[in-house]
Amino acid sequence: MGAPHPVSAARSWVEAVVAAGAAPARYVPDASLGRVDEAAVAGAELVEGVELEIHPLVDGFRPEAAAFLDGIQHWRVVAYDGVTPVVRALVAAAVRHRGRDRRLVTALEASRELAVTRLAGLSPAVRGALERAGVEILELAEADLGQPGRTLEAARRAVEGARVEAEREVGERYAAGLAPDEWLVVDGVLSESARLARHPRVLGVVKSHSAQYFEGPALARALRLPPRHRTSVFRPRGRARHEVYSWYLRLWPWEGNDLLYGLLRIETRAHPDAVEAASRVGGWLYAERAPLATPDARWDRLLYPIHDVETYLNARVPREFFPAAGSRLPASRL
Amino acid sequence: MIDRALSGPVGRVVATELKPTTPHQFHFWTVTETGIGIGAIVRVEAPGSGNLEAGGGTRAAGRVVYGVVTEGLAYSDLPTPLHDVVGAEGDPARAAEAPTVRQEIRLWTAAVLRQIPEEPLQPVPLGEVFLATDADVAQALRMDGYLRSAAPTAIPIGLYTAGGLEAPVYLDAEFLLGPEAAHLNISGVSGLATKTSAVEFLVASIFQHFPRHKGRVAAVCFNVKGPDLCFLDRPGTLEEEDRRRYQRLGVEARPFERVRYFAPYKADGVNLNTLRTHPDLVGEVQPLVWGLREVLDFAEVLLNRDDIDAKADAFIDFLADRVLDRPFEDGFGGEHRVETFADLDRLFRAIFDGLEALGRSDMWRTHHVATIRKVRNRLSNISTRCKGLVTDDGPSHDLPWGAFEDRTVYVIDVANVDPLGQDLVFARVVSRLREHLERRDLGVDTVIVFVDELNKYAPADGPETYVKKMLLDLSERGRYLGLVLFGAEQFRSQVHRRVVGNAGTQVFGRMDMDELATPGYQVLSPATKIKLATLPVGELMVRHPHFTQPIFVRFPRPAVLRGRDGVERFPPAADLPFEEAVARQLAQLDRRIRPNQVKDLIADRPPEDVRRALGAVRRARPDDVLAYFRKVLGARIPAEPARSREGVPPLTPISDEPY
Repeated sequence: MGAPHPVSAARSWVEAVVAAGAAPARYVPDASLGRVDEAAVAGAELVEGVELEIHPLVDGFRPEAAAFLDGIQHWRVVAYDGVTPVVRALVAAAVRHRGRDRRLVTALEASRELAVTRLAGLSPAVRGALERAGVEILELAEADLGQPGRTLEAARRAVEGARVEAEREVGERYAAGLAPDEWLVVDGVLSESARLARHPRVLGVVKSHSAQYFEGPALARALRLPPRHRTSVFRPRGRARHEVYSWYLRLWPWEGNDLLYGLLRIETRAHPDAVEAASRVGGWLYAERAPLATPDARWDRLLYPIHDVETYLNARVPREFFPAAGSRLPASRL
Repeated sequence: MIDRALSGPVGRVVATELKPTTPHQFHFWTVTETGIGIGAIVRVEAPGSGNLEAGGGTRAAGRVVYGVVTEGLAYSDLPTPLHDVVGAEGDPARAAEAPTVRQEIRLWTAAVLRQIPEEPLQPVPLGEVFLATDADVAQALRMDGYLRSAAPTAIPIGLYTAGGLEAPVYLDAEFLLGPEAAHLNISGVSGLATKTSAVEFLVASIFQHFPRHKGRVAAVCFNVKGPDLCFLDRPGTLEEEDRRRYQRLGVEARPFERVRYFAPYKADGVNLNTLRTHPDLVGEVQPLVWGLREVLDFAEVLLNRDDIDAKADAFIDFLADRVLDRPFEDGFGGEHRVETFADLDRLFRAIFDGLEALGRSDMWRTHHVATIRKVRNRLSNISTRCKGLVTDDGPSHDLPWGAFEDRTVYVIDVANVDPLGQDLVFARVVSRLREHLERRDLGVDTVIVFVDELNKYAPADGPETYVKKMLLDLSERGRYLGLVLFGAEQFRSQVHRRVVGNAGTQVFGRMDMDELATPGYQVLSPATKIKLATLPVGELMVRHPHFTQPIFVRFPRPAVLRGRDGVERFPPAADLPFEEAVARQLAQLDRRIRPNQVKDLIADRPPEDVRRALGAVRRARPDDVLAYFRKVLGARIPAEPARSREGVPPLTPISDEPY
């Protein structure tokens, strides 16, 4: 945390691996996607009312200080030894603080460079070169090797796990020193971290809605929520590691787009106070829809400060992680 | 001094494929709240360049680039204005309520002033950007060569200021006053007193800093409008900020110690034609009066305005060479000695009478009578229109040719003189300066000639007048002689391009946008033009041979009484009756003289005789003024009856063919 950016030595280990006999490669996945909720009916337990209701948001609450946490992940295959890929990955997370001047400044950040591969699948020379390079190695399971598609999906999950870990670590460190009047807004779920899930002034903002908590009329009410309204507070069920409360919030009218347009799911600590504060907190988050987080295509659900954190982190990513024009041309022609 | 503790990086050079750095330009960003602005001088250090060492003179190995900011951009991450409208739900007031301020950038473009090392010339490195310190400004503007040399030639012109920091800016006397380059031209809209103030301050700075080893220097200033230059020897009001700037520039805030004022008389020949006629000051004004000889030498000035021709020119040459100041026989039996306009008019009458008496003849000594008439008309015209400057009779009162004093300002007040007379004064004074400087017997080695309203004397369009030709010659060759032109005008584009083009140093005050749209300003960036159009009083843009880019400087208010204030503090006296004016002038020469003595003496005497006697006294400066005045007045030829200008009847009907 706070250490010098780890990219400076990156080329050396990549070159060392290639020099040791691995075939150089260039493959960049479609996108360094964020976390995806499980696409399953998870279920929920209402903690506000007896059925899922629609509540108007309440204006007036604006914390003087707020911080926003997000993380990024970038990875690419940089070599093959046989059919075993060697992946170079970068994960980073940062908190940007906003005070009275309404400007965001970086308060905390961390990044890790990783080599993702299966050491047992590498030749002794390549493995030796990789181990001597000093880069942090993330091991793939033996079962993940084989067809490239399966291996690359495993690599993606491994990198995503590292990114979640980085976010959790940064978030917990920042939350530990959160000022009395300061709130922390996390991009994604809180339930991965006990500390974050218990904190009274930490919110999770979930943009993806693969997990299904309601069915029938309740689902319809949730997904047809009008703008500037929220649903009743509920306790999500399912894979959540730590208990949180949650509720839906609509930033923009969905009519003319799709049901998920402008729809957020908010996570907060599982406490009666959170229920009482839901409408006020929702009013604050509703105000955060301006300025628009354009040009990001997810701007209808992406809060500008979260977008800003992502922009900040991406600005510090080495160019090697971004596909250059012509990068898919045959190497011999380059 | 600029505090080095403040000299941390203020920005960083950025380059993209579309906006790359080049050897002459680069771009850098700063924080939003920055002291950087258009005209700021910055230093770029290549990574690994090291820091300034104590004294600021040398650096560790690595490229250092100095630049001046010429353009600024600000933008946010907003992709289209429509997104702002959507975010504010169409309500401009709500846009300001957004919880977060959008990311925005201050992106600056700078023109390279200097690279160290200068060879090989390379694109500007992507390094950190610092505000320039005193030492940086000196290096960036190549002032170190003449500021810290064994024989410094630096002349302070103003303070460069940026980001709360400031540094003195110096001109090189070798390039301001010659011989390497010379002349200064200053443009700016009227009414802000910037042009005159800047010249007054700069001349004061020159007088205090012109190096002794370069000789003696004086200034001749033509006051062509109002009281602008009439109180240069009187202290003006300075504010604390002005005094601080003087101190920072190393210039003493004091009025000029030696100022000599010259002004022609009014038509009455005894009251001076100037606004410096307050009783406490008028005694320091010397009359400027010229006779026939002085006018004839520059008769071309009078003739070339509309209908000069070679024949008239030849006749004037004949008069000057063969007639003036020597016995002359008119061919009709008359003997003449022409020393004055009156003498010359008698000669003309004799010629016309003689030709008429001889019968039908249009020629006199190869000169056609029409030519003679034309010359007579022009010469009598000048003595009428410029009565007070040109005397019908008697010798002249002139500048102290050959006795110019070091660091002295000679103000010639022709503000109320007919334009024709202004041309004559200007042409003759500059020509005499040139003659004396060529002979090195003026008394000083360098003379600054300050001319306001240069567009009037050397217009870009219009006929090739004698004055314009003389100004062209002055601007192109004056530097070799030590004759330096400081010209001022409202619109530079309206001045002959060779005159402004030869000015080594060019200064710009607040400019009119229409003027800035003319081709002469195409090299300036839009931001620089906007800054020029809104420059406050006391700020200038300077171009100098050592500076590769224009530099903005602030100068203190001149330590002299401004013309307007001077007129209020020393209101001009009303014209005195003839007798009183004569008495006062004699009393100024000898305080023992009582007015009644003079009035008794000149009672019933023709004014011409009195004026002639008064002029003789002023020239002679005798110990006993009254006795000398009495003697001159009494010894003179009896006064002629008052003459009226009579038209000379034609000798015979003039044919269509004038010659």
